[in-house]
Amino acid sequence: MFLRPRTLREAVEALAAPGVGILAGGTDFFPALGERKPAGAVLDLTAIPELRGIEIGPERIRIGAAASWTEVIRTPLPRAFDALKAAAREVGSVQIQNRATVAGNLCNASPAADGVPPLLALDAEIELLSVRGERRVPLGSFITGNRKTVRAPGEIVTAILVPRTIEGPSSFLKLGARRYLVISIAMVAAILEADTTGRVGQARVAVGSCSPVARRLAQLERDLVGAGLEEVGARVEPRHLDVLSPIDDLRGTAEYRRDAARTLVARALEAAAGGFLQ
Amino acid sequence: MPTVTMTVNGRAVSGEAEPRTLLVQFLRDTLGLTGTHIGCDTSQCGACVVHLDGLSVKSCSMLAVQAEGAAVTTIEGLSNGELQPMQAAFREHHGLQCGFCTPGMVMSAIDLVNQNPTPSEHDIREWLDGNICRCTGYHNIVKAIKAGAEAMAAGGKR
Repeated sequence: MFLRPRTLREAVEALAAPGVGILAGGTDFFPALGERKPAGAVLDLTAIPELRGIEIGPERIRIGAAASWTEVIRTPLPRAFDALKAAAREVGSVQIQNRATVAGNLCNASPAADGVPPLLALDAEIELLSVRGERRVPLGSFITGNRKTVRAPGEIVTAILVPRTIEGPSSFLKLGARRYLVISIAMVAAILEADTTGRVGQARVAVGSCSPVARRLAQLERDLVGAGLEEVGARVEPRHLDVLSPIDDLRGTAEYRRDAARTLVARALEAAAGGFLQ
Repeated sequence: MPTVTMTVNGRAVSGEAEPRTLLVQFLRDTLGLTGTHIGCDTSQCGACVVHLDGLSVKSCSMLAVQAEGAAVTTIEGLSNGELQPMQAAFREHHGLQCGFCTPGMVMSAIDLVNQNPTPSEHDIREWLDGNICRCTGYHNIVKAIKAGAEAMAAGGKR
């Protein structure tokens, strides 16, 4: 059964029935299906106007659950979102970016999801709705493991909410085995805010593909406060990456990932610091 | 079985489609528009690129029923008797060998030129990351797209 509701209310009511799967951009859904039929009913969210678009408010920015990566790229956003825009350009090809949704990238919960580190660095929250009501969960607690989230079967992610609590340049760096259309070996998002003296006032750093869920480097963020903008890369020490737990797989060894992540963190911080000069 | 209605190449069409029918299967099997190719089953190769409401998409990554009410353009919809300038440029610059990837390459290239009328070689190569050519003919494909972009700018894009 294929359901394509026009309102959010109809959608959550349909989803209250057991065994209903959610479809949005479809770019993970169809390849994962292969030759099999969908196991149960499929609920398509792409015809619901309430889920569309990106709203820029004074306190926060709201990315609708049906907003595509192309919409993120084309919407004028504060420079703290440049990391998210750079990640958007790395998600598959242009045709995938035209269909795939940011919210779907989070719900799919791959450890290598390109959207997660920039949104973690932005302190994003996930808004969920079911017939029982609405709730908000910080992105850091929304994804709990490889392909696992706290989304309950009857819940729809309705939006990604980003509080405007940091203002400054940001960067995103990704390492893959080739330049394009590739699954990340390691990736880093960084945002820097300067204080009145031109030193680091606030820093946010997140690393993906090096643990089951992408991680913020909280100790590094604390240690960067007060640093000169020219020394941010040099402040990175191996102990700052202790929260990561990279694995050995066909794309690289754990040791290689740890080393690559450290280099990418330093370079991402330097790239973000360079944004103050522009 | 649900009936799906959409505009394909400027014509209103409708057809029955099981909900699990992919847009590419609907175009090929129901409408007989076999110019749109299927080259992989992982949404990577780009042989099935069509335009959906003016943007390039992989027609293997969406259901026909999701295109209800939308305007779809396939490779068959480009020419009105004469080759569209991008098609002509692919012929002129030998931008193909076996031709399997070509419909997707051309549809992708036209979307690029619609977004960026004067793409550099780098812009073209970067844009083509979702279109794979197994004959490794990228050199001439890039040349063809550069020429096609110039021809579209000179002659008005379609």
